[in-house]
Amino acid sequence: MASELTSTKLNAENHLLLDQPLLRLPHELARRNFKSVQRIVEREKEYVLPALKEVTNASFSEIQNPEQTLAALDTMISRMQGLKRKMENLQEEEKKIHLQSQKRIQHLESLYNIPSLADVKYDMWSRIRLDRLLADHMLRSGHTESARQLAQEKGIEDLVDLNVFVQCQGIAENLHRGETKDALQWCGENKAALKKSQYNLEFELRLQQYIEMVRVGDKCKLIDARMHAKKYLTPYLSTQSVEIHRAAGLLAFPQDTIVEPYRSLYSLDRWSHLADLFIRTHHELLSVPSRPLLHIALQAGLSALKTPSCHSAFSSPSANSLSIATSVCPICSTELNELARGMPYAHHTKSYLENDPIVLPNGRIYGQQRLLDMSKKLGSVEAGKVKDPTTGEVFHEGEMKKVFIM
Amino acid sequence: MDLVQKEHERLLKKSKGSQSINHVQATIDMLQSARDAIAADPSQASITLAKLQNPVKASFDAINDSLKETHSGLNKYTKALDKLFKDRPLPSTEHDALSSQDHLINRAIAMHLLREGQFPVAATFLSEMEQKEHLWASQSTALTHTDTAAALLKIGDVPSTDIRNEFETMHYILRELRENNNLLPAIEWSREHKDALEARGSNLEFELCRLQYVWLFHGGQNQQGPSLAGRQAALEYARREFHTFLSRYPREVQQLMGAMAFFPNLQASPYRAIFSNASAWYDVSHSFTREFCSLLGLCAESPLYIAATAGAIALPTLLKLQTIMKAKRTEWTTQNELPVEIPLPPSYLYHSIFVCPVSKEQATDQNPPMMMPCGHVIAEESLNRLSRGNRFKCPYCPNESHPREAKKLYL
Repeated sequence: MASELTSTKLNAENHLLLDQPLLRLPHELARRNFKSVQRIVEREKEYVLPALKEVTNASFSEIQNPEQTLAALDTMISRMQGLKRKMENLQEEEKKIHLQSQKRIQHLESLYNIPSLADVKYDMWSRIRLDRLLADHMLRSGHTESARQLAQEKGIEDLVDLNVFVQCQGIAENLHRGETKDALQWCGENKAALKKSQYNLEFELRLQQYIEMVRVGDKCKLIDARMHAKKYLTPYLSTQSVEIHRAAGLLAFPQDTIVEPYRSLYSLDRWSHLADLFIRTHHELLSVPSRPLLHIALQAGLSALKTPSCHSAFSSPSANSLSIATSVCPICSTELNELARGMPYAHHTKSYLENDPIVLPNGRIYGQQRLLDMSKKLGSVEAGKVKDPTTGEVFHEGEMKKVFIM
Repeated sequence: MDLVQKEHERLLKKSKGSQSINHVQATIDMLQSARDAIAADPSQASITLAKLQNPVKASFDAINDSLKETHSGLNKYTKALDKLFKDRPLPSTEHDALSSQDHLINRAIAMHLLREGQFPVAATFLSEMEQKEHLWASQSTALTHTDTAAALLKIGDVPSTDIRNEFETMHYILRELRENNNLLPAIEWSREHKDALEARGSNLEFELCRLQYVWLFHGGQNQQGPSLAGRQAALEYARREFHTFLSRYPREVQQLMGAMAFFPNLQASPYRAIFSNASAWYDVSHSFTREFCSLLGLCAESPLYIAATAGAIALPTLLKLQTIMKAKRTEWTTQNELPVEIPLPPSYLYHSIFVCPVSKEQATDQNPPMMMPCGHVIAEESLNRLSRGNRFKCPYCPNESHPREAKKLYL
């Protein structure tokens, strides 16, 4: 009994492993939002204060007529109004993010009030979590519409980061199509954060632009390419010198060259590599794990549930379960069976059988009481006989033999 | 968690009371009034502008101050989050065994959606998947040819319309059962599949009919408790339907009929459990789902749900293991078995498990459990090791036997 109690106890603190991105992501968004506010304020400050000083000085030294002064003031006013408008938008955004975070915290908080894994409330909570994981998986694989519908049906829009992933997918798709504009714009927006990134996305994007220019190959473009390299690639000289030298070498090779590494530089596969790199950088920046959470949960869950019987040649999926009354094992069920094939099975240190095991002459083990009850319910079995639910063979009750499992 | 909540509340309050926009507005007002003053009296321009310098600067400082406050709030919240998730990083992403099996996962998701009755979502999901595959197919012909083969294979794996129809039937029956208390579709279904259900040893048909009897007894559509008309209807129903159950469920049928005599005072009678069982409808719909899915060879609960939940329960243990292994630089030797026991609740055990008492290994197809004539069971490898082909003593009792006499068991 004691062991049963411990195994159903819910330790919420430990249980929140899969839910980290749920709070981290909006927080990263909030920080990014705050940074934008800071930036625009700084920019206006740097414009307005010196401008004001200048106007004042000009006015004192009377080299400026009143119209010019008024015009200068008007510009300042309109810039400040622009600032206000931008700040209002950002504040609106911030409020949205905070409310979303609040809902998420409440959702996680509710887990702390559930004492046991066997509780119905835990069941419900876990279902919401599954829906979240599903939506996350769908968004990552680009099934946006499905994710949107699912979130809507289940009322979990606040727990799903739809827009973030949609934007990310959009940029990645553009990269697949060979357009760098959106990705570079994104890099510009996140310049500060990108400095800490372990991937050098921006360099790779600039390099790709350079390659495309060289690919065209006419004189004019080649000059452009050199200018481009000077402007965007050389700042990375200290860290990416090998790549930059290669890029320079590229000028000497036509695009149908078979010489490595220039062949792979010209390769169109680089675009999908760039898309991947972008997604990885994006996820890193927003502290989103690089693989879908569903994979993490499933990988652990499949192994925890799997037994050697699940892919055994000798047992039929429905009949060798602990009790015929319980249903098919989830790993044996068609949905997950193939998926679990390569997984390790769970480790057990104790045998786990019904407590009155008997063996039939064909070597099958069942709980005696259950087997007798079941055979009685079957109209087709005579009194005093038992029917093996797996194979359908009928034996005499006396043929059941007690078996001892230590 | 409490800390996170507190910090977030503080942050929320701060952002609501944020003054920065008001300061911006104040600056605009100042500039505007200065402008008006200069327009009215150009001669005062220099003075007005000079007076403007410090207030504008001050209000920019005020904006910055209020931003700083927000910043510190954000930082505190970051710290609270870090504390909450401290030394709980996500499990390593080194080997993702599932990423290569995306189509299997997608299939599982599609079936999960169908099973949950999310038919529109499932339809969208399937069509989006197909679109993606077409896209892939057209792209990969340009690149490599092996990819197209894989893409074609995927389309074949999508659940066929058959499964969709089956689940639609299931949800129709369940809806009737739960919302309209209408058992007839369920009973009809169970009659259609009588043989298969009987082979499983299922009581579903009887359970359904019994509930129908109880429902009629209580007055059918208008549940006003036991009435004469209700009893009459129940009796007629029993006469018409119950004769087929008599051979298999004689006791239960007797009970149901005997209850007739106790109708004025059912609550105090021994029949109370049958006639006023609050969870009866829930139980019946549950066992209906179970039987329905079992006949399709599927698990009654969504396997995806069970696996994800089990995964969430298992993750803390696995994570701990990972850190220990990293600290001690040990490798985990058996690839097909997890190195630790995962404490799952008993309801997550679906199979019988045999662990050999000698070698402590789980029985597998290659190493099946063997029963010696005395009735004790050990794994085949242990048996061979103990006996070396000769007569040997059972490790658990004085009995001696030859390995030839041991019998292979099937769990």
